[in-house]
Order: sequence, then structure tokens, then C-alpha cells
Amino acid sequence: MSPVLEVKNLHVHFETYGGTVQAVRGVNFELNEGETLAIVGESGSGKSVTSKSLMGLIPRPNGKIVEGEILFENQDLAKLKEKELQKMRGKDISMIFQDPMTSLNPTMKVGKQIMEVLMLHQKLSKKEAKKRAIELLDLVGIPFPDKRVDQYPHQFSGGMRQRVVIAIALACNPKVLIADEPTTALDVTIQAQILELMKDIQKKMNTSIIFITHDLGVVANVADRVAVMYAGKIVEIGTVDDIFYNPKHPYTWGLIGSMPTVDSQEEKLYAIPGTPPDLLYPPKGDAFALRSNYALAIDFEEAPPMFKISDTHSAATWLLHEDAPNIEPPKAVKLRMEGMAKGAGGDMNGDVNNE
Amino acid sequence: MAKYILRRIVYMLITLIIIATATFFLMKLLPGSPFSSIGAKLTEEQEAILLEKYGLDEPLPVQYAKYMVNMAQGDLGVSFQYNNRPVTDIILDRLGPSAHLGAQALIIGTILGIILGMIAAIRHNTWVDYSSNILAVIGISIPSFVFAGLLQYYFAVKWQIFPPSFWEGPIYTVLPTIALMIFPMAVCARFMRTEMLEVLGSDYIELARAKGVKSTSIMFKHAMRNALIPVITVLGPMTVSLMTGTLVIEQIFAVPGLGEQFVRSINENDYPVIMGTTMLFSVLFISIILIVDLLYGLIDPRIRVSGGKD
Ligand SMILES: Nc1ncnc2c1ncn2[C@@H]1O[C@H](COP(=O)(O)OP(=O)(O)O)[C@@H](O)[C@H]1O
Ligand SMILES: [Mg+2]
Repeated sequence: MSPVLEVKNLHVHFETYGGTVQAVRGVNFELNEGETLAIVGESGSGKSVTSKSLMGLIPRPNGKIVEGEILFENQDLAKLKEKELQKMRGKDISMIFQDPMTSLNPTMKVGKQIMEVLMLHQKLSKKEAKKRAIELLDLVGIPFPDKRVDQYPHQFSGGMRQRVVIAIALACNPKVLIADEPTTALDVTIQAQILELMKDIQKKMNTSIIFITHDLGVVANVADRVAVMYAGKIVEIGTVDDIFYNPKHPYTWGLIGSMPTVDSQEEKLYAIPGTPPDLLYPPKGDAFALRSNYALAIDFEEAPPMFKISDTHSAATWLLHEDAPNIEPPKAVKLRMEGMAKGAGGDMNGDVNNE
Repeated sequence: MAKYILRRIVYMLITLIIIATATFFLMKLLPGSPFSSIGAKLTEEQEAILLEKYGLDEPLPVQYAKYMVNMAQGDLGVSFQYNNRPVTDIILDRLGPSAHLGAQALIIGTILGIILGMIAAIRHNTWVDYSSNILAVIGISIPSFVFAGLLQYYFAVKWQIFPPSFWEGPIYTVLPTIALMIFPMAVCARFMRTEMLEVLGSDYIELARAKGVKSTSIMFKHAMRNALIPVITVLGPMTVSLMTGTLVIEQIFAVPGLGEQFVRSINENDYPVIMGTTMLFSVLFISIILIVDLLYGLIDPRIRVSGGKD
């Protein structure tokens, strides 16, 4: 099975007054049909920039994809012109944003905001589009859709607005849905409902989802595979089981270690020391080395390549080199891994600490 | 909604009564007799006759009551200067050119300003943006009579493209309109630019882009309406300052409007005309504020609903 979307060696830079911010520094991943790939990492690690590049939404003129390919249906999205990107956006790939309170146009009826995308890409008439908009509102679980379709966003709660945004994103049956922290701004109960809705719809429509989050609890709930991002790079990628039960990168250890679980409430949470590097001047070698207890001399000299651990699992750390000393994850992390294996995670609604 | 408008109109009336009362008594506090400036020295006897004729010999409360009752019936009294011409007549005579000039300047100025502000925002941080910004600062900081003088000197006196004064046809309106519209245009341009930039950076514009909406549709369908909402709030105060602007502009271009009459009446101590004009200006100011509020509700659904509920 060939992947729906393939990102190869993606580099994105921003020109700022202070210099060039290297927001994304060589990202590689594939997205398979019908799967959910989670991208996790602290804020500032380049998750949003990566996802925006996939849609050609990097703010111009200061932002730019300087290198790499985004292969989708035999074309390289990184090389498309704005006009061609417009045809693709919202139809083949669509996006859900973090804050439902601000992502709908306050002066446009909710129905019209859904109809717009239908009339644009599917060339529906106004009447057909409205009918379809009502169906979509129903699909995303909004009661009285035929009444709600004529209302304005301020008449909807946050959770309901996010459902509307999902309806907009799904209107044209996209092959890829990018959800950039879609539940971060919502209450825990609403969060769970939105996640259920997304899983439900994915089953019905077989959409491939890129799910961006800094919440590992959410990852365990929705994802098939996980990519861990740090300082503009993917440092570890694998199935949910690979990442949660057999993590290899010290940064992933840190993320798992800092995740609160029910039976670890009393214990002191493990926190990753230090702060992420300044992407204006990314460090030489492994960007995580300065914060890692397991850094080797070579980490400060040369960035590690991706080492393959299994068919599904790889990680970029020199610890996986055959000459490296054999290092086990810290005790706190091991305990948590074991806890998760036992209780299938328990309640994993924790945040990554350093957000 | 109807209830809301009705309530606003009641408030308007109360405000007007207060303004009328205040102007009435303030005028009574002014020193001297209204007839002292006529020129010829009046004997005490002559003055008494005049005072009686205009009802100025009666006790103050009676004068006040009469004035208010008459005004409620649309009678603003008679002028002290123009052979007893009713004030309403004088005002109606003068209203036409002022309304024409004011409306023309306001409409053209606002529309041009909004367009300019939008262009500046779209071409953010380019020379187009910078030059429109400089123009806006000039337009806001330099008073309209300076432009009026310059326009009159160059376009009327030196190059003789437009007539320098009077009000005898469309071509006569060009220079005063330009002089008067520069300020609203500059204010609108600045406001529109700021609002537009803010709106263009908002999440819902990014979502619209993520939907594949074309850039032009994003500008006109999504951004413009939202950027216009705050701009509407300045329309009220701007119209008011425009009306004060006409006072001077009409003088400079000898436009036979209310403003020119108002200035003349002040010089001549023609109290009934001053009061009548003040009342008319008040009515206009208050109506403008109401209209702007209604307009605001029309364009912003969030206000419309809360307005309808109360
Ligand atoms: N428009 C921009 N201009 C300059 N720098 C930017 C811009 N957008 C993002 N960045 C930088 O890119 C890096 C990655 O940001 P982002 O992808 O938003 O992180 P996150 O993982 O939290 O989504 C950050 O260092 C951020 O400061
Ligand atoms: Mg982000």
C-alpha cells in the first residue's frame, strides 16, 4: 500500500528581524490511508509550521519552504502555485485549528461558512449546498441542524463550534485531515466528545488524519502511529506501542516521564530540564544533547541519523549506534511504561509538562 | 428591534429638551441686550417697545414655557435682524447647500478612505502602505481650512480650473468638498488599515484560506465586513467634526449655507437664529449617533441579537 502523503526532507525557514528562524529542519514521514498519525512535541517544536506547509499556508513572504518535497497524488505540493493550492485546500486536504472560539467568521452564518466550501469545490448550487450543510451539521452531532444552519457562531458553544469547524473540514470528503491541537482549548469532557466524533467520522469516511497535540494522553486515545518532534525535526517515529512501550529517544523518555497518570499522582513528575533551543541558532549536533542526561560526546559534534529499530520504528539518537553504551530509560519512565502496559494507560489525560 | 428604536427615540427627545433648556438659560445669562449691536443707539423707550414686541419683558419662566411650546410646534421664533423673518425660514433656506456639501464630503471621503485603508493593508509594508500612511497623517493633523486656502489659491486663483467661491452648480462644489472630505478620508483610511491588518491575521481568515477561498473573496467576503465594524464607530464623531468643519469652509468659499449664516448670526447677536441652528445641529448629532448605532447592529450579528432582546 502506497502512502497518501509523503513528506521528504522538509525545511521551512522564516526571515525575521533577528535573522533566519529554522522552524522545520528536515522532516520525513509518510501518512497511510485511513490511519491517524499523531505529531507530538513541546510548543515551538515546529508542529504547526509542518502542518501549514502541507497546505501551503506558510505566511508569505517571510516564511518559505526552502527544501524538501510534499508528495500527494503524484504531485509535489511544495512546488505548486497559489492558484493550484487553492483548488486543493479544503477539498483534498483540510484543516482544523486549535481555538474554535476564533476560527469561525463572526459575521457570517454558520451554514454559509459550510456552504462556501461546497459551492467552491463541488460546484453545488446554493440550495444543494444548504441541504448538504444541514446534513453535515447533523453528521457532526449538532441538534436541530435545520435551525442551527441559519445561526451565527456566537450562538454556539466552544464544543459546538469545533463541530462546525469539523463539518467544514469534512464537507468535501478530503483524503487528509490535519487537526492542529483540535481539543487543546476545550474542557476535558468536551475534548472526549470531539475525539470520539473524529474517530467515528474517520471510520465512516476512511480519512487519513494528522493529529497534532502536546497531550500524550490524547495520542494514546486516537493515534495509530506517533511522530515525536523536537526542535524542527522528528526524533522518533513508530506505532503507538513502539512509542509508549519501547521508546528509544531520551526526549521521548522525557515526554513519557512527565506524563501524569492516575497511580503516579503522588510521585514527583519527571520534568525535562532546560528549554528547547533557539531556532535562530540551532545547535550543532543533536539539538537535545544539552538537555539530555545521556548525551554522548558525538552528540555535540554531529546530528544523529535515523536508526531503524524495526519495520515500523526508528529514532534519531546516537544511543542506537552499535558502538554506543547500553543505556536504559530512567526508572520513573520505566515505571510509567509498565503502568501503562498493565492498566492499558489508565487515565492518560496529562499534558506534556513543558508546554 | 422596533422597541429598541422607540426607546432610543425617547432618549433622544429627552436629550433635546435638556439641550434646549440649557441653551435657553445660557443665552439669558449673556450680558447686554440683544439690541445693543444694531448700531443705532436706542432710547430706553424704544428698547422697551422692542423687548415687549419679542416677549422679552415677561417673567423668565413664562418666556421659557412659550419658547418650548413654540419649538415643539416647529416654530423657532423670529430673527432679530432680518425684518422678523421666521428662524425656520432662514434655516430652511440655508440648509440645502450645507446638507449637499456635508453629505457629498462625508460619502466620498468615507468610501475613498475605506478603499485606501484596504489597499494599504493588503500591500502592508510596501511603499503603497507607507505613502498612504503619510497622507493619512497629513490629512488628520492639518485642519481643513488650510487645505481650503491652498485649494482655492492653486486651483481657483492660479490655475483657474474651478471657481473660487459661491454655489451655483456642481463645479462649484468641487473645491469645498475636497477640502472637507480630506479629514474623514484620512481617519477612515487609518482605521480601516489597522482593522484590516488585525482581521487578516485572525484565525477565521486562516480557516477561510484553508478552505481554498480565493484571496479576493477573502478580502471582500470575510475580511471587509469584520474590519468595517469598528470603522463605523468613528463615523459618528467624524460626522460631527465634519459639521463643525463646514462652518469655516462655507466662510472661505462663500457657500450660502447654515455655517456661514451661523457665524454671521453670532457676530450680530441674533439669538433666535443661533438657538434655532444650535437645536438643528443637536438634532442632527443625536440622529447620527442613533443611525450609526443601528448601522452597527445591522452589520454585526452579535449586536443585532442583544439589541433585539431588550
Ligand atoms: N510567522 C512566523 N515567523 C517567525 N517565526 C515563526 C513563525 N511561525 C512560527 N515560527 C517559529 O517556528 C517555530 C515553530 O513554531 P510552531 O510550528 O508554531 O510550533 P508548535 O510545535 O508549537 O506548533 C517556533 O520557534 C516559532 O517561533
Ligand atoms: Mg502549534
